[in-house]
Amino acid sequence: MSNTLRPYLSAVKSTLTAALTLENFSSQVVERHNKPEVEVRGSKEVLLNPLTISRNENERVLIEPSVNSIRMSIKIKQADEIERILCHKFTRFLMQRAESFVVLRRKPVLGYDISFLITNVHSETMLKHKVVDFIIQFMEEVDREISEMKLSLNARARTVAESYLTAFNS
Amino acid sequence: MSVLAPIICDNGTGYSKIGFAGNSDPSYVFPTAIATRGPASQPTRGGPPIPSKPGNVASKRGVEDLDFFIGDEALANAKTPGYGVHYPIRHGMIDNWDHMERYWEQTIFKYLRAEPEDHYFLLTEPPLNPPENREQTAEIFFESFNIKGLYIAVQAVLALAASWTSNRATDRTLTGTVIDSGDGVTHVIPCAEGYVIGSAIKHIPIAGRDISQFVLNLLRERGEMAAVPPEDQLRVASRVKENYSYTCQDIVKEFRKYDAEPYKYFERYEGEHSVTGRKYSIDVGYERFLAPEMFFNPEIYSSDFLTPLPDIVDDVIQASPIDVRRGLYKNIVLSGGSTMFQHFGQRLKRDLKQLVDRRLEASVVSSGSTTKSSGVDVDVISHKRQR
Amino acid sequence: MILLESHNLIIQTTLAEKIAKPSSLDVLFVDFDGVRFHLSTPEKKTVVQLSMNIRCWDELVAYGAMQILQREYGPLIKQQTEPEYNISLDIDIDQVPADEESREAFVKSISLFKRNALAAPFELAFKQQKELEASGGAQGQLMQIHYRDEEAIYIQASPDRVTMIFSTVFREETDRIFGKVFLQEFVDARRQPSIQNAPQVLYTNRDPPLEIRDLAGLRNTDDIGYVTFVLFPRHFANANISFNTISHVQLFRDYLHYHIKCSKAYMHSRMRHRVAEFQKVLNRAKTEVATTERKTVTGRTMTNR
Repeated sequence: MSNTLRPYLSAVKSTLTAALTLENFSSQVVERHNKPEVEVRGSKEVLLNPLTISRNENERVLIEPSVNSIRMSIKIKQADEIERILCHKFTRFLMQRAESFVVLRRKPVLGYDISFLITNVHSETMLKHKVVDFIIQFMEEVDREISEMKLSLNARARTVAESYLTAFNS
Repeated sequence: MSVLAPIICDNGTGYSKIGFAGNSDPSYVFPTAIATRGPASQPTRGGPPIPSKPGNVASKRGVEDLDFFIGDEALANAKTPGYGVHYPIRHGMIDNWDHMERYWEQTIFKYLRAEPEDHYFLLTEPPLNPPENREQTAEIFFESFNIKGLYIAVQAVLALAASWTSNRATDRTLTGTVIDSGDGVTHVIPCAEGYVIGSAIKHIPIAGRDISQFVLNLLRERGEMAAVPPEDQLRVASRVKENYSYTCQDIVKEFRKYDAEPYKYFERYEGEHSVTGRKYSIDVGYERFLAPEMFFNPEIYSSDFLTPLPDIVDDVIQASPIDVRRGLYKNIVLSGGSTMFQHFGQRLKRDLKQLVDRRLEASVVSSGSTTKSSGVDVDVISHKRQR
Repeated sequence: MILLESHNLIIQTTLAEKIAKPSSLDVLFVDFDGVRFHLSTPEKKTVVQLSMNIRCWDELVAYGAMQILQREYGPLIKQQTEPEYNISLDIDIDQVPADEESREAFVKSISLFKRNALAAPFELAFKQQKELEASGGAQGQLMQIHYRDEEAIYIQASPDRVTMIFSTVFREETDRIFGKVFLQEFVDARRQPSIQNAPQVLYTNRDPPLEIRDLAGLRNTDDIGYVTFVLFPRHFANANISFNTISHVQLFRDYLHYHIKCSKAYMHSRMRHRVAEFQKVLNRAKTEVATTERKTVTGRTMTNR
């Protein structure tokens, strides 16, 4: 782990742990409704201050807490065109399967690549520190996966080109 | 410029039928099998050739996942050291998406030699396929292959359309009951206007494999199998089933007929030992009509499933909405290899008609009305393209 | 399967089947680059008619496709071409060579129908190069083959080489970027000592190469690229080598697109694996909920499906 990644991840980890203090909160506007307030944005008093943790200009995390839900968005590093398309493909692949990742949002928040939405239901049925662990592990692995995919794409392209050109020799 | 013919890809549990729209036959029929590098029995690993150690990706080769065979070539390579054969479809549903994606890849580029960008595709799915599977299929076809367009049809509805080739089918309707009996399981599927009535579908645990087993049991009981090597017995039984069986109209009469003139009705099956080449022959008797009889009197084979096929069909139709029932009775379509027995359709029609008439009569009596019901048409369509 | 084959498998299998057991037949199928085939038995079961439709037929004829097909198939070519198709062959099953080996060779040559038709401009260019080399001329004629709606091949012979330019258009963003990576590797791969003998490959994005810069009607958008192959006389030194070279070069675009698609499939299988891993991590977070069987009054159990 590179030396700037560790403090970045640990900052995200502690902020997220601190932010995950959620309670069941019925809607103030509509009877018998219970909606994630961070998405509804109905009243200011139940929203807390959003917070951004940046590693550099390309990598940052936005955490938006509220009384019964928090929304966390990640911007993933994209150095070039290839990483951009791979990142896009990968996040979309994940979001397509958001049903099985209960805490994943189906669409990212504007300006970010992928978002999570954790509500009080999730924090009640799941172990809080494990959920945080999941998100941290996700952040660690997503970078690695994208760079591995890029490497393997290049390796493939090379093999493909070589086998095509070698065939001219025969 | 004329549009290139759409590609039709029917991937079944056993065989895939692949071809172009407008032809009367598929261009290829081969097993839905893929032979990949690595052992066959590793279902837990989930398949993708991801290097175990991270950082190992830059390994020089990088194209190990192109090293595979599909279809007949897969089976031919099953014995090659290093290859393992997988069947990516189980019970009609796709089980291993990685293998399936590569299977399609080679189907398109090696066998069909088509550019997927230029073609529309027609795929099939079993009834009650979960929408997630459909989504994943569409994801593969649109993301990987950039196809122009896609339609995923339910196999039962296509079976209804296939019955139009029969000269008995007068109006081209997509309302009807499909009896689809393959090797593993038999489904009875009601369709209304091209839509499957999912809540009324019923399954019967009797299909091709069970019939072969039953034939084998009968032959063994009579002692015919003594001459047949044990490893060939099931194959011989299924051969007997395919070649000599027919559906009779009345078991008791049939037994009497056989007993009166055994020489007229008994057939002789000649076989050859697959290893030693020794010839053997067996007498084929009552199993000729008893094998398909399993559908109509299941108690002769199993003790836990006892409802005859006509009753099941009747239940299925009675469970469907009342306004389509006439259409469902009128157009009962057979599909799949285990419905190919001679006179199967007539027998089913007769038994079902009896059930329906009896119920109508009972209701006339119990209502005490003087007006007579005009009756319900029951028709079973069998045609050449059942399998 | 890394390399694509140049013969058509459907022709090969169907024809072999029909020779073994003649029966009536009527099938339509395709090949790469929008080529359409029609295999039928219009008159009798033993005479199989194979018709082909190629988009750029007129251009191919102008570059001598008829002569090549005449050379390859000779008497098989029908005078009366089937309507909607460009050329028809009549294969009389009774005339097919009897012995196994020559019959297979015959079927194989039929299945190379498309390859042979498309070979015309290449063969012409090789011939021109030899003439130019002998006479010391400057440049041969620039041949254009619009083999797809948006893409074309340009071939030009020079005294010392033959230049082939493929224009490539990627309709989709992912394809465009993957394609770029692949094409860059084609350019770089030649530095390997083992493939020094391969033709030189150049790749430019958007700007057409010098040879075709003056042509009218070239697209000037971001999604177009040009791949140039420079073939030297050693690539078509004798009939055998030039046969291989032509078959190989023809399938360049299909090869490229095939591998782009394979890479995407590979990416998908990686991602599927990764999703499964993430799922495992997330499932660890779920607390065990004591599941008690709930029953209704009538004794039916409630289950989540």
